[in-house]
Amino acid sequence: MRARDNPFRTDRVLSVRYQLAEGTFDGLLDRFEAMGRRAAIVGPKGHGKTTLLEDLTPRLRDRGFTVRELRLDEDQPRFDRAFLGEFLRSLGGRDVILLDGAEQLGWFAWFRFERATRAAGGLLVTTHRAGRLPTLIETTTTPELLDGLVGEILGRGAPDVRSITRGLFEKHRGNLREALRELYDHYAAVEA
Amino acid sequence: MSNLHLEIADGKMNYRPGEMVEGVAFWELPELPKLLELRLFWRTQGKGTVDHQVVATIAFDGAKPTDRRPFRFALPAEPYSVSGILVSIVWGLELVAEPDGGSAGVEIVISSTGEEVRLEKKK
Repeated sequence: MRARDNPFRTDRVLSVRYQLAEGTFDGLLDRFEAMGRRAAIVGPKGHGKTTLLEDLTPRLRDRGFTVRELRLDEDQPRFDRAFLGEFLRSLGGRDVILLDGAEQLGWFAWFRFERATRAAGGLLVTTHRAGRLPTLIETTTTPELLDGLVGEILGRGAPDVRSITRGLFEKHRGNLREALRELYDHYAAVEA
Repeated sequence: MSNLHLEIADGKMNYRPGEMVEGVAFWELPELPKLLELRLFWRTQGKGTVDHQVVATIAFDGAKPTDRRPFRFALPAEPYSVSGILVSIVWGLELVAEPDGGSAGVEIVISSTGEEVRLEKKK
C-alpha cells in the first residue's frame, strides 16, 4: 500500500481529536479557571496529553487569552536561555502559557520556570507524573477508546480490527500513539 | 457560507518539471478575508513526521468577496511525486481564505514521466 493511502498515516492520525471520557472542554476550562489557571495535564506517553493541550488552545483564545506555546521533548529537552529570557520578559496578564513536556525540566529548572511565569495569566503544562502543578486532568486510555479511534480513522464500513487492537493496546500498555503506528505497519504490508 | 474552488485548465493533473500549471480560482465569500491566496506546495504523507513546503504563492489582492482570477505557476524541477510504503511526496494547489474562510485544494503529479514514481518493495 502506498504511504499516502495508508489510513494510519501521520496526518490522518493527527486529525483525530481528543475525546474526553466525561464532561466538556468548557467544564475543564472552568476548572482550570477555578484552580487559578495554573495546572497540569498528567498522563503517560501516548495518552493524549498533547492532543488535549492543542484542543484547549482555540477555546482559551475564545475566552480572550493570548496563548503562548512552548514545547520540550527528548530532542530538545531545554530552553534556549536567550529565547526563554525574551519570552519571560514579554509575558502579560492575559497570556496563558501552554508548556508541552514539562517533565523534561529538572527540578531546579522547573522551580525557576514556575516562579518566573507567575506574572502570566496562566500556566498549563503536560507532564508524565503528577506533582509539578495541581492536576487538572489525568489522561487515560482504554481498549474501547483505541477501538473508537480506529473506527473513526477507518470510517464506516471498515473491517472490524478489534482482534488486533486489543492485542496492540496490551502490547503498548495503553500508548495509543504506538498502537496506531503499529497499525500503520499492518496496513503498509497490504498490497494495493 | 464560504465557497472556494479551483479549476485546472483541461483538467490536467500530470506534469513534467518546468511545465506550467494554469487554471482559474473562484470564490464566494460573505466578506473579504484578510488573506486570500493560492499556494503551490508539496507535503509528505506516511508514517513519520509530516513535512511540507510552499514553493510559490499568488496573493489575490484587491479581490472582491465573489470573484474569479486566472493563475499560472511554473513547476519546479524537484521533488518528484513519489510513493513508497513509508512515505509519499504529494504536490498540490490550495486556495486559502484566512482566517476561517475555508480552503479548496487539488492534487497534481510532477515527475519526468508525468506519473507518480513508485518505490517498490524488493521481492
